[in-house]
Amino acid sequence: MSWAFLLQTLASAAAIAILVGFTAWARISRAPPKLDAAGALRVLADEFPDASPATPWIAADGAGAVARSGDEALMIFRLGDGFVARAAPWARVAASPVVAGRLTVRLDDPGAPRIRLLTGDGASPFGEGAAS
Amino acid sequence: MKAAFDPVTLATPFFIVAIVLEIVLARLGRARAAYEAKDTAVSLLMGLGSTVAGVLTAGAVFAATLWAHQHRLFDIPMTAAWAWVAIFFLEDLTYYWFHRLSHERRFWWASHVNHHSSQHYNLSTALRQTWTGGVAGTWLLWLPLAFLGFPPAMIAIEKGISLVYQFWIHTETIRRLPAPIEAVFNTPSHHRVHHARNPRYLDKNYAGILIIWDRLFGTFEPERDDEPCRYGIVKNLGDFNVLRAAFHEWIGIGADLLRVRSPREALGYLFGPPGWSPDGSRQTSAMIKARWRARMQEKAAKPAEADPAAASETV
Ligand SMILES: [Zn+2]
Ligand SMILES: [Zn+2]
Repeated sequence: MSWAFLLQTLASAAAIAILVGFTAWARISRAPPKLDAAGALRVLADEFPDASPATPWIAADGAGAVARSGDEALMIFRLGDGFVARAAPWARVAASPVVAGRLTVRLDDPGAPRIRLLTGDGASPFGEGAAS
Repeated sequence: MKAAFDPVTLATPFFIVAIVLEIVLARLGRARAAYEAKDTAVSLLMGLGSTVAGVLTAGAVFAATLWAHQHRLFDIPMTAAWAWVAIFFLEDLTYYWFHRLSHERRFWWASHVNHHSSQHYNLSTALRQTWTGGVAGTWLLWLPLAFLGFPPAMIAIEKGISLVYQFWIHTETIRRLPAPIEAVFNTPSHHRVHHARNPRYLDKNYAGILIIWDRLFGTFEPERDDEPCRYGIVKNLGDFNVLRAAFHEWIGIGADLLRVRSPREALGYLFGPPGWSPDGSRQTSAMIKARWRARMQEKAAKPAEADPAAASETV
């Protein structure tokens, strides 16, 4: 790699920093509104059109939701101005621990290895005694 | 090693100006463009990383191209106009099959998926380029052009022209172009379909510059006003980590290969369609499309319950 290429790469990195700063300043993107049950079901219907999810549990900050559909847990969480969705066996999600106030679901998925959803009281919404 | 005339390097300042312009127009409400800062950062860093990765593998690629050209069938002069017309069509045809392979077989999808990993579609998305294309070996597909007799520099320039062409079509600002252009060329509308994750739009419109190849080989799908594109991949990425965008599918392949029970399974995980699994527990795009068609037919059979637009749908 030549000095010229190194210089060109550094200049590109600087241009990227400026462009990203400019994008942030322009604030074109709008975070979606906090999820409620109806909003979560709309996103879930888009993501899992074959499923029939039960009433979803909504994360305390409205940034995610979990709904049971048969043996599966359908999960959505906010990323930037959109949502990301994953399904996992219900038993695994129900048994997932709460870490630092967030229900933490580990997935066998290099695209999204972990989903973290804020609980209101630091207890799992699907744990012992909780309604599922 | 790059040709002395490199269209991509020359066009880079234009890329930056065009992105700034699109952001400004969106900010002023004059254009439709969704920019999210972190998403833009990933796209631009993928672009920068791609040029660095390209330099690392360029020597081997250039040597192979030179070798093929030394064993050429014909002497094709770089100065002849007909030669440029010929390479325009042949390079674009090569691009079509490269791109189709990159979607239909997981090994090559692993290096191309990053280009589709944004949930946005704007000019910055165009720069979300692969880091692992050199390793995936898709450049081998261009060797027949050198073997035919096209000079390596000519091939490199034409590839660059194609890449530069494909920059401007990554936009929602332009809705439709005049019908004769939409009929022949790859346009923002056609390429939006390519980036959409709606079942109807999955694995369609592989074109580089000319959409005629998709029309010819049966992969063309027009954009419909009653079905807006939802961008990204079937399973969108869980964060804005540039390393995840670059390598997640490779990691997935590695994890699957550690668990295989037979050579058939290994081949399936490597070269089957993305989403292939031995027990069918994952979804390929063919499976997603089949389920979508079934849903549409179900809705059409129960027109009273379905919404009228969906019920009139032909599938
Ligand atoms: Zn593609
Ligand atoms: Zn694209």
